[in-house]
Amino acid sequence: MRDNTLKYLLVLPAIVVVFATAIWPLIESLRLSFTVGRLSRPGSLEQYLGFENYIWAFLYEPAFWNSVWVTTVYTVLTVGLTTVLALGLALLLAPGGRFRSGVQTLLILPFAMSPALIGVSFRFMFNPEFGLFDAVFGVLIPPLADVSWLVDPVLAFAVCVMADVWGWIPFLTLVLIGGLASVPQDTIEAAQVDGASGWRVFRDVTLPQLAPVLAVVVILKSIFSLKTFDQIFMLTNGGPGTATQTLSHYIYFNGMKYGQIGYAASVAWLMVIPMIFLTYAYAKFVFRKE
Amino acid sequence: MIGRRRKQVMNAVQLSLILIAILIMLVPIAWIFMAAFKNHIDVFQLKLFFTPTLKNFGTVFEPPFYLGHKLMNSTIVAFVTVVLAIPIATMAAYSFSRFRLTGETTMLVVILATQFVPAVVIILPFFVMFRDIGLLDTRIGLILVNLAIVMPFAIWMIKGFIDGIPLDTEEAAMVDGSSRLQVIRNIVLPMAAPGLLTAGIFCFIIAWNEFLFALILTNKDAVTLPIGLALFKAEEGDLWNLLSAAGIIIMLPMFVLALIIRKYFVQGMTMGAVR
Repeated sequence: MRDNTLKYLLVLPAIVVVFATAIWPLIESLRLSFTVGRLSRPGSLEQYLGFENYIWAFLYEPAFWNSVWVTTVYTVLTVGLTTVLALGLALLLAPGGRFRSGVQTLLILPFAMSPALIGVSFRFMFNPEFGLFDAVFGVLIPPLADVSWLVDPVLAFAVCVMADVWGWIPFLTLVLIGGLASVPQDTIEAAQVDGASGWRVFRDVTLPQLAPVLAVVVILKSIFSLKTFDQIFMLTNGGPGTATQTLSHYIYFNGMKYGQIGYAASVAWLMVIPMIFLTYAYAKFVFRKE
Repeated sequence: MIGRRRKQVMNAVQLSLILIAILIMLVPIAWIFMAAFKNHIDVFQLKLFFTPTLKNFGTVFEPPFYLGHKLMNSTIVAFVTVVLAIPIATMAAYSFSRFRLTGETTMLVVILATQFVPAVVIILPFFVMFRDIGLLDTRIGLILVNLAIVMPFAIWMIKGFIDGIPLDTEEAAMVDGSSRLQVIRNIVLPMAAPGLLTAGIFCFIIAWNEFLFALILTNKDAVTLPIGLALFKAEEGDLWNLLSAAGIIIMLPMFVLALIIRKYFVQGMTMGAVR
């Protein structure tokens, strides 16, 4: 067979799979978002409404805006905290040696844990009666001794953020260690010889060279933070009330619990829009290397 | 002298910070491990010392929990997903790596982008379709949608491995009269085998931990392990010792797999944006 035919035949099955499992559902979701789309009413999946679902979300659904707000704050906090803490840990571990390399190996463990399980374990750790973190926080910060973390809206949100940060620091640390390894050592040494302090070397030499990797980390983490569902579902199930209801959770609830597939699809598509920008930004970094 | 003293202090500070970090990272995992070996009563106290028991690991497999059934579902779903995804991804990855295709960049970007689409968007139409054709609560249905999350990783990861295989042996074999398919079978596949295994393990972990699809598509027959966690809620609250035992059954195999492929974890997750 000629290579010219073969090369397209080889990619064909993959393209078919990607089309069937990702592109088709995206387009079908878009179509559903313009319909009445109630699971309980046969035929309503073909009953077109125009933009009514979108208008409904924007004008009449405080719960939608609540989930937008929750997701935004959640994303900003988790991306910021995870990145800063992971950078700190990466700087501590980058020098290598047997001890530090051993720690790097251990770091892979939390990342192999399923997010659902992370949610469960944090619910465990913050149990008011026998949760270990609950007890530790109570000792370190006395005003927090008698609180029920998952019952208070603000504290429940804080626990969700902590669980997320806990789950992602190890992976981002490993990425940043990789990034630090590619910063040329001689520029750092040159700066040190010139008498620059540790902080100056970091700010003026290391950080600028690390910028592309940091950008990748921030974009990737933002994407995953925006999508967050599993931990929230297992940890608080959006509660108390709707205090920790992220967009994914809001869509799940409207689509699956209330059977409003059309409405859920419209909110889901609103969520796709920021993803397109983030993916575009990410793709630029991926192809920059080639 | 002062410089040296300062360096020692700095080193000590760094080491203690690292130790604190490990502690925070490992304590929740260790806590689950301990709870899994505790009796129901011991869980309710912050005890470090207790009489360990293996009873929980038996109880979770008994009625009404039947964790064995979920374990079976998870294993079959993750395994078949990988077995389907890796050959398809390898063919595509080889082509992307070795040839110039019209629209190649577009295809690669679209494949990359599908990885970032929220799962909740993808699942709505699948739920409606599976309801109509009777694929709800089946392993087949779950495998089909799992391909959506696994494929982009697999293609990008394997492409990275094939990019790293030098062209000369392939070219030499072509000059000697081998066909392209023979070259792929006899030269590329053996050389890429460790990479394929790595990608396979990576995808297995992702499929094994998958939550949202299984939550929405299954309710009884095809329930997987992560969804099974929700079973351990009783009227008096969560059954933490059983929940922990189930948690260990879910995470321990993944820990082993993750340690095997740890060198490639970063590359896989970032689709090669960071090498």
